[in-house]
Amino acid sequence: MKTAALLGPYHADRVLAWENGHPMTYGRFLSDVGALADLLPEKPTVINLADDRYRFLVGFAAALVRGQTTLLPPSRAPGALTQIAREYSNSYCLVDGTEHVERLPSYQIPTGTGNRTDTAKVPQIPIDHTALVAFTSGSTGNSHPHSKTWGSLVAVARSTGARLGLKTSDQVTVVATVPHHHMYGLEASMMLPLQHGMPFHVGRPLFPEDVRLALADVPSPRMLVTTPLHIRACVTARSRLPPVECILSATAPLSRSLAKQAETLFQTTVYEVYGFTEAGSVATRRTVAESAWHVLDGITLLQESVGCSLQAPYLLGPIPFPDLVSLQKPDRFLLHGRGEDLVNIGGHRGSLSDLSQKLNEIEGVQDGVFFLPDDTETSVTRLIAFVVAPGKAAEHILSALRTVIDPVFLPRPLHLVPHLPRNETGKLTRDALLGLMQDLQKEERHGI
Amino acid sequence: MSDVSPLEMEVAKLIIRTLTLKVDPAQIQPEEPLFGDGLGLDSIDALELSLAISQSYGHQIRSDDPDTVATFASLRSLCQSIEKHRTK
Repeated sequence: MKTAALLGPYHADRVLAWENGHPMTYGRFLSDVGALADLLPEKPTVINLADDRYRFLVGFAAALVRGQTTLLPPSRAPGALTQIAREYSNSYCLVDGTEHVERLPSYQIPTGTGNRTDTAKVPQIPIDHTALVAFTSGSTGNSHPHSKTWGSLVAVARSTGARLGLKTSDQVTVVATVPHHHMYGLEASMMLPLQHGMPFHVGRPLFPEDVRLALADVPSPRMLVTTPLHIRACVTARSRLPPVECILSATAPLSRSLAKQAETLFQTTVYEVYGFTEAGSVATRRTVAESAWHVLDGITLLQESVGCSLQAPYLLGPIPFPDLVSLQKPDRFLLHGRGEDLVNIGGHRGSLSDLSQKLNEIEGVQDGVFFLPDDTETSVTRLIAFVVAPGKAAEHILSALRTVIDPVFLPRPLHLVPHLPRNETGKLTRDALLGLMQDLQKEERHGI
Repeated sequence: MSDVSPLEMEVAKLIIRTLTLKVDPAQIQPEEPLFGDGLGLDSIDALELSLAISQSYGHQIRSDDPDTVATFASLRSLCQSIEKHRTK
């Protein structure tokens, strides 16, 4: 049985996590993991809801040691959690607060309780073990599970580190604004430092001032794992960030001009990472210097008649790109945008047909559709919904939607209309919906 | 909307403009929650709103400030925080 170590080069006294200026070492981590692993119930799957990055990682690692699989729900919406709990009914939850999921037992993640030994053995995890299951929303209305082997997580962390030129001896501290409950956050803010014996900051700064304070809270050199949204906020606020070696951005395309501004203002190097749930991180680019994406070592690009896909030794088979791409060189590709049905709001990926289906399942809704207006330069573009629901108020439909979809996809606004502009075959074209939106805006301006 | 200060009206308009909400500023109740069940705002909105507030009033909002949860609790608390920290 082939295995890979839980962590990179092990030095008990090296820092793994910084919490309010307080260091937690790799040695303490291993004792926390060992202590929790002994306490975990005998169940195959666990939903880890811990908000604190260190506690989440202790829970994740303890589950690995016990041969269990961590489930990453697509969102915290009660409906999403209930669905996962129904499909994986023999699960339990790990929490660090008061969260719970209906029908599943919850366990707090204790830390600092293990017996500290300097001779701790680094756990070896089978590379074929399903370390986690991530979910994406599909067009059928249900979440699709995507299993990740331990081997694939380790391979992606190592190839990303190699691409960024990370060396264990550098001890770069990762500060992340992204949640660790999604693939990018988990890969870049946990697996990347863990597999290189480097530290991370436990928090999740949101506002530019938070980002500045979190970076100032850890020693140099530093790496900021973030999104175009947070980069724009820091640039707009002209934040005086402490020195940052590099900024890693993902979840949505970063414009070259914003990357340039960030590089100049923060005296740093900005890299983008491209990936998707099915494959994990796939490629990187230095946004100011190149348009093409350079695939991580080990990934092969395939041009097939229906589109492009990619293959890697740690993936079960070729995986088609969810976005429109064209191959440039054997290891480079260009990204041309998303498939028509896919949307990305603030880094959350969703399917318009899936969202529309959930809308149509709401009691009182006769017909309804989600729609993504054209992007604006200034702020995050939100979805719009057109709904036919005689006798129902928009608030009623919104509160029903709130229980079944990720709140980031809640429509802004939800328009109640007498009917939808379906064509003779019953289809709703983008042009017809754009026309409807413009008519409604005109009516509003005229105060009708 | 009764007993609303001029600043509260101004910030209500800023919120609606920044977040392209479809409500009348007079509909925002000063004591009602802005996030979650109230106006249903989320962390992306908080970020957008913090930028608009720093540009308009020079107040840099941060999460670890013990007052921040309270700051975004309602229009009234947000305005009290702006009043206290504004430089513009």
